[in-house]
Amino acid sequence: MKRRVVITASSAITPIGYNKNDIIEHLREGKSGVGVLRDDGLLTKHIHSRVFGTVDYPIEYGFKRQYRKTMGPVAYYACQVAKDVLESSGLSQEFVTSGRLGVAFSSTHGSPTVQRDIYKTFFSDLDSKFSSIGAVDYLRSMVHTTAVNISRMFGITGRIIASSTACTTSSQSIGFGYETIKYGMQDAMICGAADEHDTTTVAVFDNLLACSVKYNDTPECTPRPFDTNRDGLVVGEGGGAVLLEEYESAKKRGAPILGEIIGFACNNNGGDLILPNLNGITATLRLALEDAGIQPHDVDFVSAHATATKMGDVIEAQAIDAVYGDGPLVTALKSYMGHTMGTCGVIELILTMYMMEQGFIAPTLNLENVDERCSMLRHTREVTDTETKIAAIQNFAFGGVNTCLLVKNGRDADT
Amino acid sequence: MTRDEFKNKILTIFIEDFEFEQPGLDDNLRDDHGFDSIDALELLGKMELILGFSFTREEKEAAMSIRTINDILDYVEEIKESRTQ
Repeated sequence: MKRRVVITASSAITPIGYNKNDIIEHLREGKSGVGVLRDDGLLTKHIHSRVFGTVDYPIEYGFKRQYRKTMGPVAYYACQVAKDVLESSGLSQEFVTSGRLGVAFSSTHGSPTVQRDIYKTFFSDLDSKFSSIGAVDYLRSMVHTTAVNISRMFGITGRIIASSTACTTSSQSIGFGYETIKYGMQDAMICGAADEHDTTTVAVFDNLLACSVKYNDTPECTPRPFDTNRDGLVVGEGGGAVLLEEYESAKKRGAPILGEIIGFACNNNGGDLILPNLNGITATLRLALEDAGIQPHDVDFVSAHATATKMGDVIEAQAIDAVYGDGPLVTALKSYMGHTMGTCGVIELILTMYMMEQGFIAPTLNLENVDERCSMLRHTREVTDTETKIAAIQNFAFGGVNTCLLVKNGRDADT
Repeated sequence: MTRDEFKNKILTIFIEDFEFEQPGLDDNLRDDHGFDSIDALELLGKMELILGFSFTREEKEAAMSIRTINDILDYVEEIKESRTQ
């Protein structure tokens, strides 16, 4: 059994806004969401990179204490976007709790804020402070905290998938959710990821010489994917969720079809855990096309992973060139908000669907002088009014994990 | 610390930390306020800080059957008495 899988609701908390109108405005007007790295009183002063994709606007959560007690900051983002998609979906409470709705959701590493508090206690004075390690600290910090806080809050009893694979976390959530519905194990899945403000991630990339450091005084000028003067990635925070549903039942209940997932691929480079790998990435892009049963020329737009590292962008450009040539428009959406880690895949999918619906493609921000090694692609250099039928969302992670999602314009679901 | 002083501190914790609205001394904590085993463990940690001593594993396990705030006050008095003997 192979069933069609459509997207019927979405929500994203991003450094360029929470609601759709704000996000579209940033994309159309080229407004960056990158700002100054907030002081955490611990690591910030040692980190060379002082830029961060920050969620700096207030969010009214309104979660009751019975739910809050098992939630770290990452679960707030997760439950908020999950609440948004459930509320806008119109799904009945009977269906939500039926066991036919599952959750595929995760984060890079649970809640670093809660983990840090545990370690503070642990290293301060074990005898007298031991009891202040709360009974719920594990529930707040564990790697699947987002998925199970969502299921608890809404009484969801279906499958739980919590794939935590760094930068491919949410694209795996969506891909595995898609396969779960496609092969009949569930009828709907809430898919996505969240990652909270975390300086340890910045410190790791900083020490790997992979973070941007030259634009600390002009945060909006970085990251600069594919640009000659790029100097590394910018870490960010946020959350995103999409509701995937089996097509026939979504159509029957009159749900809006925002997009259709028509293909997914995931593989591993089978070697180095950090360096990008041309063969591995190229294979992923081709596997996704094969899964969708389409040809490279069917794809109009590529949302590149493009973090603005020196080698990563070049290898990705070579892979896109090998598979697509200069056919599709290519945009690096991280140029607007930095790298939201595990969340980047779902946010980039949602932004792509917004652009598909509105009939435009946003340019890569800060792309002033294209690196000649990346110049063979059809880069989006200005806001381009165009109808996109099929888009590819590419993401690659530490550990050699590669993913590609292929999404069809929701408008064309019936064609 | 008298029973009354401890009662006031516990009521403050229920109102401020557990967000109870008008907790009654004989309310069923689980049925009336949704107080569960996770909350109970958190409360025991807070009680240890107030009392200045740690509960034993057996004392904590015994606390799991407590249902009302009056039961908590009785429980603490029993433990304090047993430690002075």
